[in-house]
Amino acid sequence: MNAPQRKSPDESPDPGRWLDDHGDYLFKYAVFRLRDNNAAEDAVQETFLAALKAYKQFEGRGSERTWLVGILKHKIVDHFRRAGREAPLGEEPDEGSDHREFFERPEPWQGHWNNDYAPNEWHATPAELIERNDFWKVFNDCLSPLPQRTASAFTLREVDGLKSEEICEILSIKVNNLWVILHRARLHLRNCLELNWFRPEQ
Amino acid sequence: MAVKLYDKLKHSIRYWLLRTLPTCQQTVEKISQSMERSLSLQERINLKLHLWICAWCQWYLEHLQIIRKTARAKADEPPEFVSGAGLSNEARERIRRRLTNQN
Repeated sequence: MNAPQRKSPDESPDPGRWLDDHGDYLFKYAVFRLRDNNAAEDAVQETFLAALKAYKQFEGRGSERTWLVGILKHKIVDHFRRAGREAPLGEEPDEGSDHREFFERPEPWQGHWNNDYAPNEWHATPAELIERNDFWKVFNDCLSPLPQRTASAFTLREVDGLKSEEICEILSIKVNNLWVILHRARLHLRNCLELNWFRPEQ
Repeated sequence: MAVKLYDKLKHSIRYWLLRTLPTCQQTVEKISQSMERSLSLQERINLKLHLWICAWCQWYLEHLQIIRKTARAKADEPPEFVSGAGLSNEARERIRRRLTNQN
């Protein structure tokens, strides 16, 4: 029987040990999403503080780390909300490039893929890529040059799988703007992955 | 002879479609949107026809799907791939002090 392990009522939380056991993990989780060391440190600290307050509710259900990551997710979303309120995006998303050069061709083929940027076959499956840590390094580096909000929107959508409406609410943007932002992020990231991962010899 | 004629016809249809349908630039934007909302019937027909004649946009769609599947599978795994170590010593000590004061 997998009965949840209950801690005894007098057991007190040990935040020092939490920090040693989970601090680095939580920090990396946060920095991948926030792309800002200071913000990630703050989110980790807020997570531990909230965990101390909420310790009674934890009651040893599930793993400690899963519980802490659950709190951290909320702290990350809080950070995005604050940033969205402080710097609202206007009607037109002027951030990020629409990569017009990808489709520069002489007439009559203007608007079709330029040979230098056209996609090639990748010969890879998600199952293979998941196993490769160096792929994730390239993935992470490719996200770096994007404007912060673009990278946030992309990560919330494609990594965390949030719905469009949720992301719009968190980042205070309109859904049409979100689509434009995601489209630009995808154009950039796909090209960057192809150049740096799938055919680095060129 | 018949094969040659068929090839010629296929080529002409392909050429005509490429000239008539939305461009690759417009199509990749629809491909991206198809991952966010359901496309209208007209949009779907244009997309299907374009993909039928354009390997580049087929790959583009395939790559976006690979990126999504891979990224989501990785969401709750240890983010070991993030460059650099974990918390800096300074941040660790700051957080430790803050937590001790709370306790």
